[in-house]
Parts: sequence; C-alpha cells; structure tokens
Amino acid sequence: MNTELHEKRIPIIKIGNFLIVSIQVDMHDKLAIQLQSQILEEIEKTGAKGVLIDISVLEMVDSFIGRMLSGMASMASIMDAAVVIVGMQPAVAITLVELGLEMPGVDTALNMEKGMEMLERRIKDEDYKLY
Amino acid sequence: MSETYNIEKVKERISHIEDILASVAAGDMDARVNSETEDDLSGIEAAIDLLIDDLTDELKQREKMQKEVEDKLIKIQEQQKTIFQQQADLMELSSPVSKVWDNTLILPVIGTLDSQRTQIMMENLLEKIVETGCTISILDITGVPTVDTQVANHLLKTVTSARLLGAECIISGISPAIAQTIVHLGIDLSSIRTKATLQDAMIYAMKQNKLSENVKLQTLFTNPDENED
Repeated sequence: MNTELHEKRIPIIKIGNFLIVSIQVDMHDKLAIQLQSQILEEIEKTGAKGVLIDISVLEMVDSFIGRMLSGMASMASIMDAAVVIVGMQPAVAITLVELGLEMPGVDTALNMEKGMEMLERRIKDEDYKLY
Repeated sequence: MSETYNIEKVKERISHIEDILASVAAGDMDARVNSETEDDLSGIEAAIDLLIDDLTDELKQREKMQKEVEDKLIKIQEQQKTIFQQQADLMELSSPVSKVWDNTLILPVIGTLDSQRTQIMMENLLEKIVETGCTISILDITGVPTVDTQVANHLLKTVTSARLLGAECIISGISPAIAQTIVHLGIDLSSIRTKATLQDAMIYAMKQNKLSENVKLQTLFTNPDENED
C-alpha cells in the first residue's frame, strides 16, 4: 500500500519564488492528505512565496478534497505563502458551490498564466507596502 | 311423416342459422340467413339478418372513430414534439453569452427566471468563461421583472462558481422591485459586485482590464530580466 502511494506521488516543481503543483491523477483522501503535508514541507524548505495548484484535469472534487484545498490555502498563508487554485472546471465549481464549499479565502485563476500574474502582482504589492 | 319432415327441415334451417352466426362471429359481416320461405321461423331469420346489419354498421362506425382518434393522437404527439423542440430552442436562445470586449463576457437576461433556466444560464456562462478565458463577466438582469428566493440563490451560486473558476462576475441592472425582494428575502448580496446599469458595469470592466494591464506593464518595466526571457 505504501509503495503504491509512493508511486502516485504528485510532483511539486519550484520555479522562481513559486511552487507549481499539477494534479494529474484522481485524488483520493490519503493522497490528498499526503499532498497537503508535502506542499507545506516544500514551502518550509524552499521559502516559496506562492503555490499554484492546477486542478484542470480533475473531473470531480468531493467535499473532502474541497476542504483540503481551502484548508491548505489558510495553512500556507500562515506560512507566508499565497495559494492560487488554477483551472477549475465548471462542473467542479458547481459541485463545490452546491456542497456549500464556497472557499471564501482561496484565490482562483482561470489558467496557470493568469495565476502566475496574480501571484506576481500580490508579491509586488507586498513589497510596495514594505518600502 | 310430414311432421318429421318438417322437423328435419327446421333442424336444417336452425343449423344454417347457427352456421351464419358462427361466420359472423368469425368476422364475415357479409353473411346473411336469407330465408326464402314464409313461416314463423322466417321472422326470426329476418330479425337475425337485421341484427347482423346493425352490428355491421356499428362496427364500421367504431372503426371510423378509432381511426379518427388515432389520427388525432398522432397529430397531438407531433405537436408535443414541436413544443419540446421549441422549449429547448428557447432555453438555448434565452441565455446567450457573448464576448463584448477584451476579457469581458456579457450575459443579458430577459424575461422571467426560473430555476431550470438559471441553471442552464449558469452552466453556459461557466463553460464560456473557460472557453474564452475572460476574467470578467457581466450578468445583466435589466430585463427581469421579478426574482424569487430560489432564483436569487441561483444567481448567487453563479457568481460564486465563477469566482471559483477564477473570474469575476458582476450583476448589473437590478430593478427597484428586485432590490426590494432581495432585501425582504434577507439575501445578502454584499459579497457580490453590483452595478446600476450595464454601462456602469462595462466601465468597471474596462477599468479593471486597464488596471491589470498596467500591472503587467509595471511588472515588465521593473523586471527587465524577465522581459528578455
């Protein structure tokens, strides 16, 4: 079981200040929990300022995954990293809203490019506030 | 001797009547007893013939009516088909999503909204947002006379779903009646950007676009290294 999970590890790629996580497999609960801690560890290790999670391939998101995603956004923001969820499909959005998971604190973007812009803008704004 | 003969004759005629009745029962409506002699039995025979005539008429009439009813049924079925087709067409026509400006989608809603229609509108809008990659969409409800709780909820859901996709959804043209209903129903629209008219919404969308473009330019300007890549 462990090796099976190990094979399905979702890669986390660091580009500049950002981490990019592209979910390409169907999420199940264990994988989601694993991914959550994996991302948080990676944020600590690399000091990334933003995380882009691409879920454009996910056809279905249940309440657990939805909660995991919004939870991760708040966890990452405590660790000073912004989370942007990228490329959600209409059906998934409708499902989440019907489930009452409106993810109030989570930023979303239509595609990776727009998500990247959003994060860059955000970091710029914070830098501007500092100096 | 003559009596026995008569009985034989009578038996023969009765069996003839039986045969005729049997063939009528089997569906041969042209069969008749057609007695030639004139006596007590011939009255019954004539009566049976008359009954068969009546029965034939009745059956013919029934067949005619049945055919008429069947024709009408077919007609009604065809009409129903047309109605369904038109309903489907109306649904498609009633939620046109069009791109009016860079990065801006517009969905004008005209007529009364029901749950089914808002559902279809929502799906269409979300599909279009993903398809075109527009980040701002305007939901113009100037042409909507009234909304109820369910519809207002659906509108809210549409806006929230659009946000989850990464797009902003503005509602414009809320009439006084709708504003009153929404507030009376206790629905909180404060999290949603609403504009008075379609014009205001368009101006807001354009400003928003300009803003993000400026930021993009700034990013390019302050990061010349990234620009070269």
